[in-house]
Amino acid sequence: MQEFLQQLVNGLTMGSVYALVALGYTMVYGILKLINFAHGELFMLGGFFGLTWLTASAFSGLLKSPLLGLLVLFLLVMAMVAVIGVLLDRVAYKPLRRSPRLTAVVSALGASIFLQNAVMLVFGSGYLVFPDVARDIYWMVGGVKITLMRVIIFLVAVCFMVGLYLLVQKTQLGAAMRAASLDHDTSRLMGIDVDKIIMLVFVIGPALGAAAGLMVGLYYRQINFAMGWTYGIRAFTAAIMGGIGNIPGAMIGGLLLGIIETLGAGYISATWKDAISFAILIFILIWRPTGLLGERVADKV
Amino acid sequence: MAVILLALMVAAVGCGGGDQQVAEDAIKIGIQGPMSGPMALEGQGFLKAAQLLADQINEQGGLLGREIVIVPGDDKSDPKESALVAQKMISSNVVAVIGSYSSTATEPAANIYHEAGILHITPSSTATPLSEKGFERFFRTCFLDDRQGLFAAQFAVDTLGLSKVALIHDNTTYAKGLADWTRIYLEENGATVVYYDAITPGEKDFSPVLTNVKGVAPELIYFTGYFSDGGLLVRQARELGIECLIMGGNAMNNSDLVKNAGLQYAQGVLVTTEPVPTDLPYAEAQQFIADFEAAYGTPPQSIWTLSGADALRVVVEAIAQTGSDDPAVLAEYLHNEMGDFPGITGPITFDEKGDRLGTIHKAYEVDAEGNFVPYEG
Repeated sequence: MQEFLQQLVNGLTMGSVYALVALGYTMVYGILKLINFAHGELFMLGGFFGLTWLTASAFSGLLKSPLLGLLVLFLLVMAMVAVIGVLLDRVAYKPLRRSPRLTAVVSALGASIFLQNAVMLVFGSGYLVFPDVARDIYWMVGGVKITLMRVIIFLVAVCFMVGLYLLVQKTQLGAAMRAASLDHDTSRLMGIDVDKIIMLVFVIGPALGAAAGLMVGLYYRQINFAMGWTYGIRAFTAAIMGGIGNIPGAMIGGLLLGIIETLGAGYISATWKDAISFAILIFILIWRPTGLLGERVADKV
Repeated sequence: MAVILLALMVAAVGCGGGDQQVAEDAIKIGIQGPMSGPMALEGQGFLKAAQLLADQINEQGGLLGREIVIVPGDDKSDPKESALVAQKMISSNVVAVIGSYSSTATEPAANIYHEAGILHITPSSTATPLSEKGFERFFRTCFLDDRQGLFAAQFAVDTLGLSKVALIHDNTTYAKGLADWTRIYLEENGATVVYYDAITPGEKDFSPVLTNVKGVAPELIYFTGYFSDGGLLVRQARELGIECLIMGGNAMNNSDLVKNAGLQYAQGVLVTTEPVPTDLPYAEAQQFIADFEAAYGTPPQSIWTLSGADALRVVVEAIAQTGSDDPAVLAEYLHNEMGDFPGITGPITFDEKGDRLGTIHKAYEVDAEGNFVPYEG
């Protein structure tokens, strides 16, 4: 039982990261029906910008108050990656808005390769290591070890997700986003600035991805230019599992995938972990082709 | 500068083999390896070692009263170049060829030397399939990965006195192979493998695997993958409260391991690996390293340089003992008669496939400063 609970804690941490990254995929898909393959790279950039700030001498003064330091760090990194997200849209996707969907997907793959290689050229191809920020603080709850960083990751992820959910469901801006995801032209007729909504999506999605990348860097302390792929593919799977285009779906899909992975690795075989996750994904899609919370969409591609 | 000189030397010998004043009855031994390109250090190491030993023997009147001539060949560690070098070696009438460095470059050359019936010894190509082709004149002075598994198992059981081992690999051919061999030898030595599974390289969270490992309470975790994952694995194991010894294979032998794990966690981690040249305990090794330094100004940088020297010494020994330069006779001697020849890298005995018996591996430990130091117990 103790082992099961520990695995659950492990799974929730990984799942929170997947969920945050999955939100970026699902939001862009919801609005543009585009799979933003460069999103994993935005997540990776979060880690690299975070490391750059953390090691910059100017920043070390702020870290004297760790909480304030971390808050500023998160805001800075999220803002920087949000700018890159908007630029990515302007350069790689906006000129292709009226082109066939496949063209934009190819452009997304190109952007992903470009960002990966740019980071490799600037930061090198090796693994970079974060300084120790959160010291070894942990609690033992019934024999289960819970570290502070795991709690922070989970709480930050939940806060972001709840905040996003409220934004989309309860505000006028959210209503505009939901409208734009249904039909761009009709939304324009209703006076919604669709381009602004798209820009907003490319601010929020990358910012959440960057937060996830920064948390991965802070917790695991190791980042690499290729890490966007490993996490990106999992988060994408989580988005599909929950129903792509659906925001609560991405959250549930992410947490579910994290838990399935750890329990599969823990109780069946770590070697077969990915096979197990994808087998479950296939079963879910056979049972519900639109994902767990996905809505029926008339003629997709 | 030394590189340029050596390159010129290679070029001179390579282009003008016929012009050289070589005694008619000289014994020619080819040295094939990457003399230029990113791995040049290794090929030049072979060449320097062989030239040094050949000069020593020639000064003392040669081998069987005949001069030893070293014929270098630069294959840039490239399989296509390797085939060309092999053809060139054959037309220079060498008795034996030592090389190449990487397994990819050794493979095409091995086929050509086999057809030409030349004795072929590689000092450093460890890929298992090379000796599975049944070439009777192919030998290696390096040890295959199964030897590291043997060492790891014996070290865990005999030196550390442990019997419950968890094996973790990363599903790459190398790491899985090493884990499999270690498992076989552990069980042969009476230890129990209480856990055997793989992590996914590049993934940052290994706590699902480690939570399981903690449940089976091993006395030793042996991780056969690479340092980048290994560092995180060590840290996460300690964070989960796993207190047992952690040991890695030779892919963990990298100073970045300490960075990735954090010094307080990395300290005390063991690795099984080929020793640093100066850590070899044999008198032959100390002698060779001293001679090498006297001749070239720096001690040998790579363990493969010493392995290359051993390859030449083995050929010389076979020629001296049999009084023949017929590769068939020499191969016969190396397979069946030579046993525990005192090599620089330890006693040399070849099995029926031409692979080397015994182990060269050694255990290193991360000390309080984060350096890898020989394990003292």
